[in-house]
Amino acid sequence: MNLKKYLVRALHRLQKGPGYTYKELLVWYCDNTNTHGPKRIIKEGPKKKLIWFFLTLLFASLVFWQWGILINTYLSYNVTSSLSIGFKTMKFPAVTVCNANPFKYSEVKHLLKELDRLIEAALERILQPTPGNVSENVSPPLDLQLWNQIPLVLIDEHNKDNPVILDIFETNQTAGGNETAVSNGTAGDNQNSEDNGTTTHSETTAWNQTTAPPAPANTTTEEKKYKLAVKLCSHQGSNNCTYRNFTSAAQAVTEWYILQSTSILSKVPLHERIRMGYQAEDMILACLYGAEPCNYKNFTQIYHPDHGNCYIFNWGMDEEALNSSNPGAEFGLKLILDISQQDYIPYLSSAAGARLMLHQQKSFPFLKDQGIYAMAGTETSIGVLVDELERMGYPYSDCTMNGSDVPVKNLYSQYNTSYSIQACLRSCFQNHMVEICGCGHYMFPLPKGVNYCNNEDNPGWAYCYSSLRSSIKQRQICIDSCKETCNDTQYKMTISMADWPSEASEDWIFHILSYERDMSTNVTLDRNGIIKLNIYFQEYNYRTISESAATTIVWLLSSLGGQFGFWMGGSVLCLIEFGEIIIDSLWITIINVISWCKGLKQKRARARYPDAPPTVSELVEAHTNLGFQHEAVGALPRDEALPPEPGTPPPNYDSLRVQPLDVLSPDSDVE
Amino acid sequence: AATAPGKKITARLKRTLPVRGPQAPTLSELMRWYCLNTNTHGCRRIVVSRGRLRRLLWILLTLSAVGLILWQCAELLMNYYSASVSVTVQFQKLPFPAVTICNINPYKYSAMKEYLSELDKETKKALETFYGFSEGKSKVRRSVDEWNSTGSDFFQQIPLLKVEDFSRTATDLHSGQKRKIEGSVFHKDSSIVNSGDSNDIIGFQLCDANNSSECALYTFSSGVNAIQEWYKLHYMNIMAQIPLETKEKLSYSADDLLLTCFFDGLSCDKRHFTRFHHPLHGNCYTFNSGENGTILSTSTGGSEYGLQVVLYIDEADYNPFLVTSTGAKIIVHDQNEYPFIEDIGTEIETAAATSIGMHFTRSRKLSKPYSDCTETGDDIPVENLYNKSYSLQICLHSCFQKAMVDSCGCAQYAQPLPAGAEYCNYKKNPNWMYCYYRLHEKFVKEQLGCQQICKDACSFKEWALTTSIAQWPSTVSEDWMLRVLSWDKGQKLNKKLNKTDLANLMVFYKDLNERFISENPANTLVILLSNFGGQLGLWMSCSVVCVIEIVEVFFIDSLSIVMRRQWQKAKKWWNDRKRAGPGKPPQARDVERQGHDNPVCSDEDLPTFNTALRLPLPQDSPLPRTPPPNYSTLRLETAFTEQLPDTLELGRH
Repeated sequence: MNLKKYLVRALHRLQKGPGYTYKELLVWYCDNTNTHGPKRIIKEGPKKKLIWFFLTLLFASLVFWQWGILINTYLSYNVTSSLSIGFKTMKFPAVTVCNANPFKYSEVKHLLKELDRLIEAALERILQPTPGNVSENVSPPLDLQLWNQIPLVLIDEHNKDNPVILDIFETNQTAGGNETAVSNGTAGDNQNSEDNGTTTHSETTAWNQTTAPPAPANTTTEEKKYKLAVKLCSHQGSNNCTYRNFTSAAQAVTEWYILQSTSILSKVPLHERIRMGYQAEDMILACLYGAEPCNYKNFTQIYHPDHGNCYIFNWGMDEEALNSSNPGAEFGLKLILDISQQDYIPYLSSAAGARLMLHQQKSFPFLKDQGIYAMAGTETSIGVLVDELERMGYPYSDCTMNGSDVPVKNLYSQYNTSYSIQACLRSCFQNHMVEICGCGHYMFPLPKGVNYCNNEDNPGWAYCYSSLRSSIKQRQICIDSCKETCNDTQYKMTISMADWPSEASEDWIFHILSYERDMSTNVTLDRNGIIKLNIYFQEYNYRTISESAATTIVWLLSSLGGQFGFWMGGSVLCLIEFGEIIIDSLWITIINVISWCKGLKQKRARARYPDAPPTVSELVEAHTNLGFQHEAVGALPRDEALPPEPGTPPPNYDSLRVQPLDVLSPDSDVE
Repeated sequence: AATAPGKKITARLKRTLPVRGPQAPTLSELMRWYCLNTNTHGCRRIVVSRGRLRRLLWILLTLSAVGLILWQCAELLMNYYSASVSVTVQFQKLPFPAVTICNINPYKYSAMKEYLSELDKETKKALETFYGFSEGKSKVRRSVDEWNSTGSDFFQQIPLLKVEDFSRTATDLHSGQKRKIEGSVFHKDSSIVNSGDSNDIIGFQLCDANNSSECALYTFSSGVNAIQEWYKLHYMNIMAQIPLETKEKLSYSADDLLLTCFFDGLSCDKRHFTRFHHPLHGNCYTFNSGENGTILSTSTGGSEYGLQVVLYIDEADYNPFLVTSTGAKIIVHDQNEYPFIEDIGTEIETAAATSIGMHFTRSRKLSKPYSDCTETGDDIPVENLYNKSYSLQICLHSCFQKAMVDSCGCAQYAQPLPAGAEYCNYKKNPNWMYCYYRLHEKFVKEQLGCQQICKDACSFKEWALTTSIAQWPSTVSEDWMLRVLSWDKGQKLNKKLNKTDLANLMVFYKDLNERFISENPANTLVILLSNFGGQLGLWMSCSVVCVIEIVEVFFIDSLSIVMRRQWQKAKKWWNDRKRAGPGKPPQARDVERQGHDNPVCSDEDLPTFNTALRLPLPQDSPLPRTPPPNYSTLRLETAFTEQLPDTLELGRH
């Protein structure tokens, strides 16, 4: 009963609304809506009505289509970049200086003595024209245990198909066949050996697979007959060996020496290694920042596995980073370094100089990647331009703000440095190394509870390491799991060099510097060790590319509004109007359904009592409906139609006059 | 009524399917109607406002709104073809670029002896005569006693001269003759700083062989430049006559140049290098040229994982006049790019390790209509002589070579040959040098049109290089290093290498971030339309519907009103003439008609009214029951006597 009451009330309310039938509602809507098209549908003649109807439909569909495009554009999260160049007061970059050589040879000699003797003896034998018949050694007996862990071998390639492997310290020759696959075997051979685990990671075969034709024929006569290779075995005495081939003996020797020396040095505790490296007071002879003097105490010491002790200026770890507010060499950092080239480890690093790198505060210097050399006996001037890229994070681009969302444990966080892609890649490698080989590589920081690899504890580590290092799969995993940082800062350097000190000034400069360092009147420095560095901001010291969202929600709304307005002159209110109409039509449907149901009920009732009287509401509804409908026909052109009602006398002439006019024009055309 | 049933039917059809004219009888009515009914906002105000001032104000406002819309939309249209730049950085495995390495000296001097001995003799002779320089005390490279032979071909063809600027006389330093300078003087060095002590100026004269009065004198402020330039001209002449295979043999082989090679932690050898013969630099070797279909890539940055080579630079075998510096030249380029090593190469020092860190940037511009660049170079009317992908440099060189072949009849030595042409040499083209210098001058002054024709390429790859140098080998490692490298060089060679004959080169990616700078269209059609809509909506709440309305009202309707009026005028005029023709029309009627037949009040009034009212036409009772006003019917009858036979008939019956 309540429901019925409510419905009746709703019915009354509807009476005030746009109409009782769909048609009325639609006409009312068209007439009163604010969108531009529908109004025209009902206001014009039948032909135009049709045209306008289709136009309105077309425009509506256009609007929806374009809205789709716009929303799609918004969801693709495009960015626009803006570039700014200029000079501003900026934080001076952190400057890391290292010596290319990690340790003083005089300090590590006792550790590497055996190794050096071995390599010297080996070279002695190799460089002899016929390595087969070796005269018995006169030097004190060599400790071949070290050698046998990772031996160097000579491969005789006189016979291309059956290379002979010559051990350098043993005269017995082993044919290539009875070892596992020798590198120069056919490609198919190698694939097999890779399958069953006796992997031959020889680059020659890898190359053979990629490079199809060998070099032009005219060079074959001069083919080199001997090659050096490093023999790596998974554990000592096993047959699971691989030969790392080198086309150049120099490289083979260097690689071998690095492998051996890392194994030796990894057993030395850290403080000892720091002591063996170059000390700040020995290395940094003079320092001037702008007009202010500085000295080695302003540098932060860090132990870098590649380069021993490195010193970082303006790292910003303990104190505020220094600002530089003037361009030019006068206001930059000036350093004089001594690399004491005489104390280099001869086989470890063949290039001599200082390694330096500019980087951001609180970031770890990856000198192998980004570092540059400075040559001894020269003055190197470095003009700096800070090239920044500021990107927006997710969802605009796939980068990471601080590395917290990268699934690789950052081992460099023990240095208290910020995330960088290089740190991530190295941590990723080290994690793999620990997982697979059971020990950490000496060049990278250690995870907790793991030791560095060495020959005694992990005899197969070199084999494991070199197979891991050349594994493409491992690299790809690391590349995929590491993300670049959103804010990428690069220091673009303009490097120029001049000879320093000049011949005329040489004497007094060396004298003063030697005196200051060693308190002695003897000259302890020479041209081969001394380096001058100037690092300063260029006239334009920054170039910043910053991203901003190309499509914001404001942009989206105004574009949507623009489209709707452009085609139909509509706004959000028009959408609300439309919604209202839909609600209204729903109401009408409900009422119709109810009345239909009632009708059905009554029909049934009438079937039982044929002469049952109709209910009052039914009557009322029928009445009002009829009346309204009748009026609706006339009410179509409501606005103008109302004042002169048809049926009054004056329009009669009009109708009279209209007739001729209508007929007139085509007829006259005929005439 | 039965006489014309067909006409009645047509009349009825027209009534039920009304083709109605404009909504208003006159233009002003039309405007008024438009203003009242339009969807745009300003117009209604004009009509509705009371008071002249207010109306004027609204007219002004509406007009200025229209003006603003037009202006803004024009701006939008004009800025349609603008591009926005986006920079993306991607961390990924990067393709390693091709690295081309050349010795600065193109050919082994010892091997070139048979071709160049004459020229060298002449050059030395010249040096002795001009500057009193004799090689006796300095390094003797070949026997000195031979060279007072007779042939001075080279000087006859292109004489070296000492010029005295003020007197405009030149002394031929070889023959000692004085001669007057005719023709123009070109200074190869940019400014004539030395013109004060002009007797130091030295140069050479190039003459048109066909017309010896056409001469051009090229002067240099320094004899060093003059001798080198002069030597180079003759050298190119000689080299142009040597076939390519011989030249390749005269130059360095891969074994000669490359001592060691290491890439991505693995050894590599000469098989990974492709030979490429450069006319000025001899044999160059390209690492990772992609010739066999595979392009190497790096998945780790850092100096260990790049390319490391030790180059053997045989300084003793250098040509003393052609090149005066020692070392190698390298260029980092894309596999599809031609290495213009003479233009953009980086020089490598000997006895040093040069470490080159790369940073990869890829750029892409939008082509037409956004900017004037070319995607493939196909749309440029210059034939690409290099079989590499298009670049501006290639276009310019090809363009010059084409002009050279066209005007001098032979091709310049430093650039590839077009089809059917051959390199210039004295014997066949005695005139070529003069021609070449003339042409080159024109080219530099942009008179050949090459700079206008050639466009830059739309996409390009760039490797930004950071170069630094360290001493190599270090003093303590020098000993073993040189020994081992000598062993590497070849077991037979017992000579120990000198460290100034070696150069160490490292080329590596500093990071694996690829920076991609691309231009994107800032506007799309969708956005343009949105902006139009925004403008229209903001100023006048207008839409396309309004535009259609405007077209409808201002063009179709106004035009039809005007046409109708014109038609009626014409009709009236025609009727008048007709009536005047037959004889005596009733004068009174004429006058009356003239007064009444104003279409404003009679004809067009009616349909408007009717359409406006949208009255259902009285169909059942078409004819007036009330007695119609007499004048009207009369007037109608008279006005449309001929045109409306059915009404007349009705009236008569």
